[in-house]
Amino acid sequence: MAMDSGADGQSHKAHRSRHSGASAKKKTKARNKDQNSDQKQQNPKAFSFRSNAKAKRLQSRAVEKEQRRLHLPVIDRSYGELPPFVVVVQGPPQVGKSLLIKSLVKHYTKHNLPEVRGPITIVSGKQRRLQFVECPNDINGMIDAAKFADLALLLIDGSYGFEMETFEFLNILQVHGFPKVMGVLTHLDNFEDVKKLKKTKQRLRHRFWTEIYDGAKLFYLSGLIHGKYPKREVHNLARFISVMKFPPLSWRTSHPYILVDRFEDVTPPERVQMNSKCDRNVTLYGYLRGCNLKKGTKIHIAGVGDFSLAGVTGLSDPCPLPSAAKKKGLRDKEKLFYAPMSGLGDLLYDKDAVYININDHFVQYSKVDEMGGTTNKGNKRDVGEALVKSLQTIKNPIDEKLEKSKISLFSQNPNSSLEAEDHNRDSDEAPKLIRDIEPLKQYQSNGEEDESEFDLDSSESSDQDEGVPEVAMLKSEGRNFEEGNADASERLGRVKEQVEFHNGRKRRKAIFGDGVDHSNLKSTDEENEGDEDDDDDDDNDEGEDDRSNEDNESCSGSEFSDGDEEDLKSEEDGMGNISKWRASLVERASKKQNINLMQLVYGKSTSTSNTSANEVKDDSENEESDEDEFFKPKGQRAKNSIEGLDGGNINTEDCSKSTKFSELKNWKEEEVYESVRDRFVTGDWSKGALRNQMSEAKTEEDDMDGDFEDLETGEKYESHQKDDSSNGGIEKEDDDAIEERRLKKLALRAKFDAHYDGSESPEEETDKQNGGKFHHSQANDSGYYDKLKEEIELQKQINIAELEDLDETTRLEIEGFRTGMYLRLEVQDVPFEMIEYFDPCHPILVGGIGLGEENVGYMQTRLKRHRWHKKVLKTRDPIIVSIGWRRYQTTPVYAIEDQNGRHRMLKYTPEHMHCLAMFWGPLAPPKTGVLAVQNLSNNQAAFRIIATAYVLEFNHAARIVKKIKLVGYPCKIFKKTALIKDMFTSDLEVARFEGAAIRTVSGIRGQVKKAAKEEIGNQPKKKGGQAREGIARCTFEDRILMSDIVFLRAWTQVEVPQFYNPLTTSLQPRQKTWQGMKTVAELRREHNFPIPVNKDSLYKLIERKPRNFNPLVIPKPLQADLPFESKPKNIPHQKRPLLEDRRAVVMEPHERKVHALVQHLQLIRNDKMKKRKLKEEQKRKEVEAQRAKDEQVLRKRRREERQERYREQDKLKKKIRRHVEA
Amino acid sequence: MGKITYKRLKGSQNMRQRLLLATLKSTPVLIEDIHADDTLPGLRPHEISLLRLFEKLTDDCLIEINETGTKLKYKPGIIVGGSHLVHDCGVSRAIGYFLEPLILLGLFARKTLVIILKGITNDSKDPSVDTFRSTTFPLLKRFGVPSEGLKLEIKSRGVSPHGGGEVHLTIPTVQHLTATMWTDEGMVKRIRGEAFTTRVSVQLGNEMIYAARGIFNRLLPDVYIASDYRKRSEAGNSSGYGISLVAETTSGCCISADTTVSYPRGDEEEDIEGEEKKELIPAADVGEKLASVLLEEIEKGGVVDSTHQGLLFLLCALCVNDVSKVRVGKLSPYGIETLREIRDFLDVQFVIKPDPSTGTVILKCWGSGMKNLSRKTT
Repeated sequence: MAMDSGADGQSHKAHRSRHSGASAKKKTKARNKDQNSDQKQQNPKAFSFRSNAKAKRLQSRAVEKEQRRLHLPVIDRSYGELPPFVVVVQGPPQVGKSLLIKSLVKHYTKHNLPEVRGPITIVSGKQRRLQFVECPNDINGMIDAAKFADLALLLIDGSYGFEMETFEFLNILQVHGFPKVMGVLTHLDNFEDVKKLKKTKQRLRHRFWTEIYDGAKLFYLSGLIHGKYPKREVHNLARFISVMKFPPLSWRTSHPYILVDRFEDVTPPERVQMNSKCDRNVTLYGYLRGCNLKKGTKIHIAGVGDFSLAGVTGLSDPCPLPSAAKKKGLRDKEKLFYAPMSGLGDLLYDKDAVYININDHFVQYSKVDEMGGTTNKGNKRDVGEALVKSLQTIKNPIDEKLEKSKISLFSQNPNSSLEAEDHNRDSDEAPKLIRDIEPLKQYQSNGEEDESEFDLDSSESSDQDEGVPEVAMLKSEGRNFEEGNADASERLGRVKEQVEFHNGRKRRKAIFGDGVDHSNLKSTDEENEGDEDDDDDDDNDEGEDDRSNEDNESCSGSEFSDGDEEDLKSEEDGMGNISKWRASLVERASKKQNINLMQLVYGKSTSTSNTSANEVKDDSENEESDEDEFFKPKGQRAKNSIEGLDGGNINTEDCSKSTKFSELKNWKEEEVYESVRDRFVTGDWSKGALRNQMSEAKTEEDDMDGDFEDLETGEKYESHQKDDSSNGGIEKEDDDAIEERRLKKLALRAKFDAHYDGSESPEEETDKQNGGKFHHSQANDSGYYDKLKEEIELQKQINIAELEDLDETTRLEIEGFRTGMYLRLEVQDVPFEMIEYFDPCHPILVGGIGLGEENVGYMQTRLKRHRWHKKVLKTRDPIIVSIGWRRYQTTPVYAIEDQNGRHRMLKYTPEHMHCLAMFWGPLAPPKTGVLAVQNLSNNQAAFRIIATAYVLEFNHAARIVKKIKLVGYPCKIFKKTALIKDMFTSDLEVARFEGAAIRTVSGIRGQVKKAAKEEIGNQPKKKGGQAREGIARCTFEDRILMSDIVFLRAWTQVEVPQFYNPLTTSLQPRQKTWQGMKTVAELRREHNFPIPVNKDSLYKLIERKPRNFNPLVIPKPLQADLPFESKPKNIPHQKRPLLEDRRAVVMEPHERKVHALVQHLQLIRNDKMKKRKLKEEQKRKEVEAQRAKDEQVLRKRRREERQERYREQDKLKKKIRRHVEA
Repeated sequence: MGKITYKRLKGSQNMRQRLLLATLKSTPVLIEDIHADDTLPGLRPHEISLLRLFEKLTDDCLIEINETGTKLKYKPGIIVGGSHLVHDCGVSRAIGYFLEPLILLGLFARKTLVIILKGITNDSKDPSVDTFRSTTFPLLKRFGVPSEGLKLEIKSRGVSPHGGGEVHLTIPTVQHLTATMWTDEGMVKRIRGEAFTTRVSVQLGNEMIYAARGIFNRLLPDVYIASDYRKRSEAGNSSGYGISLVAETTSGCCISADTTVSYPRGDEEEDIEGEEKKELIPAADVGEKLASVLLEEIEKGGVVDSTHQGLLFLLCALCVNDVSKVRVGKLSPYGIETLREIRDFLDVQFVIKPDPSTGTVILKCWGSGMKNLSRKTT
């Protein structure tokens, strides 16, 4: 607990329970009673499971719930002070956004804010700062605001209900990572009926919950008092904000970004005077958020474009957190605020000037006294006071002052002594008096020189034992004067070393010339080297010579180790003079052991700006010239760039292996092989272990006592040589133990934190195995999740521990600017419109561009049309997408994935399904959210978000296909072969489709064989005309007809248009709607074009004529084989009917009589039969009725019988029972 | 679209790292003055072969070389990888030359890389394929590369003049590399190795083994060197022999050394370069010498040998945004060059601190946070 409180800097007074008195008695009584009653009433079985299945079910449910709660732990790489959290206040117009910010600011700082413009930073607590931003009302501003918001306060007019802006903003937030959201209901004083108010609140709350999640916080601001929100409610809202946790969002933790809270134009005014529309240089100020920013990072200014950073400077925090003293709450003095764009406080930063606003009755000019500075030394001077003081002490006229000096705004700047007078910058910034805020670390080329000087000085001081300080001096001077040259010479030296490695590479020799025999001693070679270097350097003296040699040696970097020294010493005897010379050199080298290896590797000027300077823009004009150069003959080109070639070192062969067999020691000798004995398990284990640990301690020590210069005070600390390993051994062991303990502690703490945060897993054994292997932590009995968390925490501790070893400048080099720093970014060549149309109410977002994100290519996204957008989206209609930091217009092609993985183009997006959208644009990493908008205007569309998507992958080639049907007609039919025309246009095309499957409409399948030979299919040629091309010979499974249509189904690649147009909304007046490419429909509407109709695509009635089929013809050979019965009889068709059919029949009189009689008889019989039938019917009916009657009677009797029987049985049973009972 | 900013570089030095880093970071590069002043100017055959390999693995990369071959424009594409790839590495450099960049490229590819490499498997200039199997793969595992996917099969061996070796390589993809704190070099607990002979007598291999063991036996009993005798189709097109040795330490570091002896090529290159031909070294001497080389590597200290320094630094620099800390022996020139290239391309600098008591160097860096962006999400 003690440890914890120390860390938090906040100790809560523990609760003291009463030990005596009335209340204590009451409590003990109650407790006793409770216990007693518990013992009596508790049923041990009451809460156990009765059913096995139910128990299982409950258990699995519990586990599932647990799993759902878990999130993949994310490493939070922001070490140190956090930047202020951004609170974005959003809502439809006239809902009270500015008023809310004003109220909150008033609550926190007790200052009245005249108007809300730009971000307002305040200190809200001892550990927390907040930055309030009002979200602009247009969709672009909303998109940008969603990208930097840590907390979004959605203001909703309670009397009106939800408006589309709220839902749009929620959607944008969801796509861009979904930061914390809190709803705030305002205008609730419009309700007179309490019941109605309650109902409305409930309704709105539930609607809000469906949109976010059940239980999302909705805050109610009841109404206005004196034109302000009630104090108590604002206070409560502030409480909510102050306890809020902000989960890391994946896009933001992997990209640096800055919300600009101060913005200035630093273009030289003469340039602006010459041409008011020239490109400007601007500076952007803000807290760095997200991840660390490296100097080479490119940035994207939302609504403007991509830029490379011309300079980054870390400034002192304008709104720092209070010092961590143990006290409750904030003092009034610590309730700082910073809002340069709003005119909050005394300083107002305008576009091109700074105004100091002092009320007249506050002005009390103090006396000008020289002692002022010294007397006030004890307590820090106020910013404003310091400023005024410094203004008072002006002795020179203002313009003189401008040339020479600077006014420091922030007196807490520690290292003003470091500050260099660089005239470039002065000339840049001369007209702006107060802008020259001293940078903490100046990372422009001028600043570096200074630093390198300091470095050199320090190295010099460490070299004092050597007794040749002049050498070092010379060296440093040389370095400073010709940085490039020095670098070159270094490289030269290194190459030389490589010459030795590759024992017979004559190419090198040709470059260094001089005809020195290679078999000669190394030293002579080196001297030659030195001479060459001297030619470069122009000053010839011994020291210089030495220097170059040293350089050669040291640049190889690795050449100085004990082994080599020994080696050289052993050779010493045989070499005489030269060896002596070398010996001294080696000695000196060994003393220079702790020379900064980093400098050797990276060179003196450790700036990465050279590389960026090397880059050449290859735009259209440049391309040509480049092209020219590209194809020039070799000699000519060489002449042009003679000065560029500084030695042949640029073409060394790259081998990772260094082969030098010649310099091997004789490992058969005992003392030689015994020297490595301890590196083997057969050797001394303790020594081996010591070797590992010692070094760590040693490096620590190096950091502690190594020579360095305190930049703040200007003092120099020199290390006393401590190479006595035997002496230092014990110390080091101590150090080691301390270090180990420290790391253990950290790990323990990390583990505690991990447990404390989430799961309540059983406490595990806390002792670590070994200090050296602390990252392989043991977490066997806890879950995988806990293990992950623990690992992450450990990694974080390791990072902090490792980084804290380094001094500030190296740390900057290594990890870049840390999050939470207040940075000043300088960007050059920004379009002047950005200045002209700058509006502080529209915050500027500057986002860092990650790896490979500046490249353009095709992106494949999984897209779904928004369910509130009324129409489906059409392929190749331009849409505006927001991905990452960017917003741009592009033309997507929609597709869907078929069963077999083919991407089939869709003309329109599906109604309620996801589809793929492929478009061209700057690449974003997979899983990035995408938001699509078509209409940017504020008043046209009901709901402006048309689709949401996320990136699946990116390609350089789009693989979307659509179906194509090639249609052809037979022009000649053989048995199963046919020649098909009109399907292809040339023989070449036929060749491309050889073997392709084809089909007739009636379903006969076939295959393309080859292009038809000319003689067969080409009638026109026979007739003397041109030979027709593109006739294909095809075979089918059956003979086709001339009337058949043959088609070939194929897939063809669909081109995705290579079009993207970045939105430049910051480069135009804000009220104007940005206009990009228009959709076809818009253009048609504008120009009154009708929709073109393809006649063939219209639906028509299908008329089908009855088809007459030819009679069946049986081939003759088949006929011959058939039996006579089945043979078609050869009956000739007769035109006249046969005689039997034609002739009439006339009866004789007798015959007629007989016929009549027979007819009469039949009539009589029929009548009889009819009567009989009727009779029978009647009879049958009677019988049936009778039977039904009988049946009924029978049933009745049976029932009675049964009843009787049962009664009997019952009686019997009763009797038996009675007997039994008796 | 029309605007492509090329990073301008000079000379053919570190071509592999430059191309590799350019591809990973997707920065277009323009390299000038490639062997511009040589009698035979322009790109060397192996460099061209390397470019072809890069072209094979990536999607839509653009390579432009001027007439003389002294200038190269390279615009990288997206690393795709994939299986059923075959690459003929030629005979000017060994497969090891190609493997070094290929491994890293494969890790950041879209699909698992399965490739057949043909050419010289063992060479004195480049690390041999045995070394890759025994040392480089364990090194990769330190950085979170799954060990199941890594595979290297030696189908046949080929040595210097005419090659003829064949190697099947499989490299899995990773989302990102994890940082490592690797400063414990441990003590050598065992030495393993492999001696191979192609188209020569087995006896030569055994001689090498015998000689090498003779050196080690005084220091360590646990020495086992296998012999790999190749004949006929498995032996490539020319004859030679070689040995590769690995020392494993108690903390899991592998330190390797290898060499190969083969009959020198009798073509024009030799005539230009030198007047005296390289003498063939007897097998016993080779074994002895290589054992000494290994001991020297061990003496230098560090968690890797000097050959692997470059790769180690690259891996550290490509890690997630965490601190990596490694210990190496003397910085090799190749390692230094790699550090500079890393600085130029990835903007990652190392803190380099010598450790005078052991003669080693401790390097620390803050990873660049490279992620495998080409991998498809479901």
